[in-house]
Amino acid sequence: MLAQQLTNGVVLGSIYALSALGFTLIFGAARVVNFAYGEMLMLGAFATLTLMNLLDISFFFALPLAMLLLAAFSVGVYFVIVRPVLRGSELQVLLVTTGLLYVLHDLAITVWGTDPRQMDMGVDGIVEIGDVIIPNQRLVVVATMLLLVVALYGVLYKLRVGKALRAVAQNRHGAQAIGLNVNRVVSFAFAVSGALACAAGGLLGALYAVDPGMGAAPLLKSFVIVIFGGLGSVPGAIVGGLVIGLTETLTGSYISNGFKDVFTFLTMIGVLLFRPNGLLGARRT
Amino acid sequence: MMGIAGAFAAALLVVPPFMGDYHVYLLSLTVLWAIFALSMGLVLGFIGEINFAQAGFVALAAYASSLLRLKLGFSFWAAAPFALAFVVVLAALLGLITLRLRGPFFALVTLGFGEIVRLVLTNWQDLTNGPLGLRPIPPPEPVLGLHFDTKLGFYYLVLATLAVSLVGLARLIRARTGRMLVAVREDAILAGFVGIPVLRQKVIGLCFSALVAGLGGLLIGPFLTVLSPSQFDLFASMDMVVMVVVGGIGTLIGPLVGAVFLIFAPELLSFASELRPILMGGLLIVVTIFLPGGIVGLFRPVGADLPWRRMVAR
Repeated sequence: MLAQQLTNGVVLGSIYALSALGFTLIFGAARVVNFAYGEMLMLGAFATLTLMNLLDISFFFALPLAMLLLAAFSVGVYFVIVRPVLRGSELQVLLVTTGLLYVLHDLAITVWGTDPRQMDMGVDGIVEIGDVIIPNQRLVVVATMLLLVVALYGVLYKLRVGKALRAVAQNRHGAQAIGLNVNRVVSFAFAVSGALACAAGGLLGALYAVDPGMGAAPLLKSFVIVIFGGLGSVPGAIVGGLVIGLTETLTGSYISNGFKDVFTFLTMIGVLLFRPNGLLGARRT
Repeated sequence: MMGIAGAFAAALLVVPPFMGDYHVYLLSLTVLWAIFALSMGLVLGFIGEINFAQAGFVALAAYASSLLRLKLGFSFWAAAPFALAFVVVLAALLGLITLRLRGPFFALVTLGFGEIVRLVLTNWQDLTNGPLGLRPIPPPEPVLGLHFDTKLGFYYLVLATLAVSLVGLARLIRARTGRMLVAVREDAILAGFVGIPVLRQKVIGLCFSALVAGLGGLLIGPFLTVLSPSQFDLFASMDMVVMVVVGGIGTLIGPLVGAVFLIFAPELLSFASELRPILMGGLLIVVTIFLPGGIVGLFRPVGADLPWRRMVAR
């Protein structure tokens, strides 16, 4: 029973980690809190589903295509609504992304209606290890998370644009002084963020269902995770995602299912009280 | 400007007895939202933060008051101080935890808090009756010979609450607290250097905001006669934000203008009700980028101070 719950927790945590990564990345690069991030996840799920139906392709071909679409969309969001206020105040950035949340949420309801839709990943069967049962679908989720995390680390540490991104995150003015095009780097961070949101949304949609309201929970979870792991920290998002996934599964099954989010929220308050930089967060200057 | 405001206030007092029930109802709704927007305006304009828990504060006051009345037989007036104190204490706690940190923690945590309030109200079915909600919530009991069981009587109660809140907040922002808050908003580090207790002033501001939101919360139960958790979701808080920004951030009149512009006008014209939420979000974006002073800003002198904290300097 415990082993089964731990396994479920890791699966859930993988999706949470994936959602939190894209959120924390643009905060790290540009100090932008994207309140519309959950809606980008939802759009990613709908984009995947629509591509599957439209082109008659499988989930695994549709998801990368949808990730490209969402990356482009995310860059568009940066240039059209975020960049004009980036030189203004933090409050203005919060206001425009809040507005975007509102628009995307209701646009999705208008276009697709509120009924949840099924999205078939095309993976069946289960694996049994001892008395732990894992549906293959969930293994795919964990594998995709690992793949994307490895890819992200490759980009951040091997590619020039990734190194530039880390430089901008560390010191924006310093990066500018050595001749980096901050604007281009930040738009790249938005692209990666959009793609990651889409991946998380697609996987969530395949495991549960696709509907316009599906973005709210991952958005909140991303907040908790990035506060837990440290705002802007990539390893913090991964560890935080797994920890929150496990906490939720365990408190949900052993204490109370209806109130599991309350425990998650209290964890966040505890972290803010005792380690406001997050468990893995560096001291920000 | 003052002349127009005075004429408008007089109209709000004198005209309603000659209006039909529907229009009085609509006016009450607008005034109620003006109270909520006013409370949000204090946080946005004078603390410089978004409070996504504002609908949660409204819900807590509404539920606390209605539960005391329905389950323990309190009168509306006896329940009110308890409900308000409850909300203000919670606001103080939230503020003490989050406002001492630099960064977007306040917005993130209040968004979480608002959702938790809704979740608890939904899941604690023994107490709150869950998604089905509390009903029927009776009008406030008569007091000093005044009756509130007609649409018109209730309208005057809501209007009086708005007037009291408005006068109270106007005094607050002209007093030391308000001027200190403006100083903190403009430059928190400098304000700290000249000896302003930054955290304390912010928490005091938040408590007053929660108090005004709570006053509105007391009234929304009797107004709708039903309370259910879904009325107090994230989008309710966001509507308040839109009203403040569209009306004019950093002023007390702005939120009221926003409420008239976004509640009264669209309802009266029964204007594109399905697309309204999209318009609300779109307005928030467009006004923030192109008209940061809002409607009221159109009438202010160029260069009048706006509550935009500099991001670059931090």
